[in-house]
Amino acid sequence: MDALRVLADHTAELPLVVTCAASSRELAAVADRPNHLYLLDAMGLAGSVATGIALALDDTPVPKVIAIEGDGSLLMNPNVLITGGFLRPDKLVMVLLDNAVYGATGNLPTYAEAIDLGRLAEAGGWTVCRADTPAELATEFTRALALSGPVLVHVRLEAGNAADIPKLLEDPVVLGRRFQDWLRTRIDAPLEVAL
Amino acid sequence: MDPTSYAASVARGIWAAQVDLVGYVPSVSVAPVISALVNTSGGTAGRSRTVFPLSREEEAAGVLGALPLAGKFGAIVMQDNGFGNALTALTTFNAAYHLPLLIVANTRGGLGEYNSMIHAFSQYAPALLRDLGLQVFEIDRRSGASDWEAVVTEAGVHARMTFRPAVVLAHFWNTDGKAA
Repeated sequence: MDALRVLADHTAELPLVVTCAASSRELAAVADRPNHLYLLDAMGLAGSVATGIALALDDTPVPKVIAIEGDGSLLMNPNVLITGGFLRPDKLVMVLLDNAVYGATGNLPTYAEAIDLGRLAEAGGWTVCRADTPAELATEFTRALALSGPVLVHVRLEAGNAADIPKLLEDPVVLGRRFQDWLRTRIDAPLEVAL
Repeated sequence: MDPTSYAASVARGIWAAQVDLVGYVPSVSVAPVISALVNTSGGTAGRSRTVFPLSREEEAAGVLGALPLAGKFGAIVMQDNGFGNALTALTTFNAAYHLPLLIVANTRGGLGEYNSMIHAFSQYAPALLRDLGLQVFEIDRRSGASDWEAVVTEAGVHARMTFRPAVVLAHFWNTDGKAA
């Protein structure tokens, strides 16, 4: 939750694609905004969806697209790191919340326990920033926004999720339309965004 | 490439559907389609500014399927056995969020198929896609190349009008095969 609060503070004017389960509902509990695209399932797809949006926004004034991904979800689709390194979407920033467990399924270990996913991203051609504390995350995320993508902000977290967070019981069509409408206003009449 | 070929017609149909970006996962049957798409968009060696490879079909569903969220429209060129990789993405993302997407896939597992294993998935692909609520249009050698072009274009229109993925299954067998 501390990491999500930091990210919410820095992304009020940026499109933000959030991975499924705990990350989406915890971010919604911190701040539920129309610039958030919550993926309610679509396992491992947050980075791919953000890649597509970043490519689509290439010729627009929207400066960055942010993906929030977990280590377990990224490991279901590590292709996103290779694809990002190949296509090099300039506006893509992915924040990897890495607690080395599948938080939504009993904290069973992920490969991230033994594999450094930041180094995997570097091997794929990403610029990697690293943060272990909320203060470091604020600094490194701000730095990432100023870099050409793809950029991965690798955040090491303690295992465990917040208790009693409400489920996101909303129609995906409504969530998608809300995000699309918000993004359209930024494409047509973008606001100044301090990077 | 012969402008009357099936591959050139499919490529023209994709562009006529007002597609902004095309991602592909290669297959020998759609390789001529991909080459035509690359050539007609100013690229070389399998890539242009608007046509590019992706490593797996579910990622293609995510990358190209996300374009409508930003006001653009995407297409995927692949082969039908790749739907096995992509079904969760296509249903829980593209279909669930009502995002239009044009998919053109060559079929495997029919007459002339040399790979005895691929039947096990591909013969069920059309019914499987329909059971999951994905709209499927099929084109085969009974139609001429110009009809293939029209069907691909109309499938793109259909995807936009229904706010869903639309799949064109192209039976390339006996349409000059690898050099379609």
